[in-house]
Amino acid sequence: MSNDGTILARRIRKSFGHKTVLHDIDLDIASGEICCIIGPSGSGKSTLLRCINGLETVDSGILKVNGDDFGYYETDNAYHALPPKKLAQQRTRVGMVFQQFNLFPNMTARENVMSGPVLVKGADKKESSKRAQELLTSVGLGAFGDRYPAELSGGQQQRVAIARSLAMDPEIILFDEPTSALDPEKVGEVLGVMQDLAKKGMTMVVVTHEMGFAREVSDSLIFMDEGYVVERGDAREILKNPKEARTQAFLKQVL
Amino acid sequence: MVQTISNGSKPTMNGIDPALKPRLRRRSTFEYVAWVVSILFGAGILFSVSTNPNFKWDVVAKYFTHESILRGLMLTIFLTVASMVLGTLLGLVIAIMRSSSIKPIAATAGAFITLFRGTPVLVQLIFWFNISALYPNLTIGIPFTDIGTAIDTNALMGPITAALVGLTLNEAAYMAEIIRGGFSSVGKGQIEAADSLGMSAATKMRKIIIPQAMPSIIPATGNQVIGMFKETSLVSVLGVAELLQSAQLIYARTYETIPLLIVASLWYLVMTLVLSYPQSKLEQKYSHTSARVPRKSRKVVLTAPEGIAR
Repeated sequence: MSNDGTILARRIRKSFGHKTVLHDIDLDIASGEICCIIGPSGSGKSTLLRCINGLETVDSGILKVNGDDFGYYETDNAYHALPPKKLAQQRTRVGMVFQQFNLFPNMTARENVMSGPVLVKGADKKESSKRAQELLTSVGLGAFGDRYPAELSGGQQQRVAIARSLAMDPEIILFDEPTSALDPEKVGEVLGVMQDLAKKGMTMVVVTHEMGFAREVSDSLIFMDEGYVVERGDAREILKNPKEARTQAFLKQVL
Repeated sequence: MVQTISNGSKPTMNGIDPALKPRLRRRSTFEYVAWVVSILFGAGILFSVSTNPNFKWDVVAKYFTHESILRGLMLTIFLTVASMVLGTLLGLVIAIMRSSSIKPIAATAGAFITLFRGTPVLVQLIFWFNISALYPNLTIGIPFTDIGTAIDTNALMGPITAALVGLTLNEAAYMAEIIRGGFSSVGKGQIEAADSLGMSAATKMRKIIIPQAMPSIIPATGNQVIGMFKETSLVSVLGVAELLQSAQLIYARTYETIPLLIVASLWYLVMTLVLSYPQSKLEQKYSHTSARVPRKSRKVVLTAPEGIAR
């Protein structure tokens, strides 16, 4: 059976200096699953996400993305870091959407969407441009291809960023608080695009504070606090009947 | 019903609507004093300069477009352009090396920068001119074998070559720091975005980092050009007949020291002013907060209300 689109983690540990931010985290995310990670700030949820596409490295534990050890290859007594080319190749299969969008300001919206296929995969420019146009249309920005990021609103920029990730045809997309930097009235348009994506069977891991999105779209939910997974399970079930006291306290604050 | 709102101001004699009266800037007494003092001071200097016969303005006029002065000026311009171009290219290489994650490469670049910024240019120039004392013969070939050819260093390192090498290496060290500063002005998020797309280090540098670092690099480079133009006068000590040395050669013969130094100074001043104009344009262009928006995009016509706000 193919492991494309799956994430598996066993006892992941990560420290910054002597502060441990991830304690023995286990993850099992199936292909096509939508998983929301919630928790207070500083709980390690963003760090966990960043480990999954190699922006941070884990200190120890097993991390398999799309069925392969991520960023490392295993020998009898150690994990060895992969050469940059191999790591880059693995990364192309995991898209990332950032809180601050991080569009390339020196490129138009279309060039941003094309940047992955053209600059990384060496794809044909004309074809990529056509594909980029389709992707921009699919996020409702068909008419904005020639605009630069500075000329777009936050919500529009984030939708371009999602299109940019999609252009690489990843099996998995990670969302790091994708709506936290947006005006409240722009949140809906981004969540709408994410909801469409969810229907298409993309594996999505979403760090978010949008409980509405978690309830309506998410399959599973993970609640993290101080580097531990406190509670996990079916999203609606946890939001309705949280079992742990810490989860109950958190949900009481945010709902 | 039309409502009239009292403007609360006194009715005017001359009928100007109080809402339309100009608002005048306050001028302090100090401002008037400053005008008077600086005009007097300026006039005094102008009077002294124009009436003191020792300035010999006729000699200045005679030599201002003298053939050997103009030839010296050309050489100065050549040295400036050549050492800036080579220095910037080498500086870019050094800057990339300096930001490498491979320790020995970064350290080598660091040592280069420290060495060439930490010693005076004048000393470096004299050093390169006398390099043959260290290495009388320059051998090109494979180390520890007899294969290769030897060249007399003195023949290779003439005054102009020494000047070019000295200025280039020094400039490279300064440009490396400017370029590296530009690199670090590119946000961390940009690099993460490029990484998450799986971009290679070279592509990231070429397509993401360098284009975005340009707005902070270009104005600083313009300043370096202006500085370099004046710095070339140092190579006169090597006997290179650039602008200053050309003037010196003439006054060594005619003893008209001051007029010829004025000729040289005027040319430096003229060239600096000529270069300052594009420099200030560059600075204006890149100082906007929208500097990150490339030129092309400015064509977009902003619609109201943003358009009105501007």
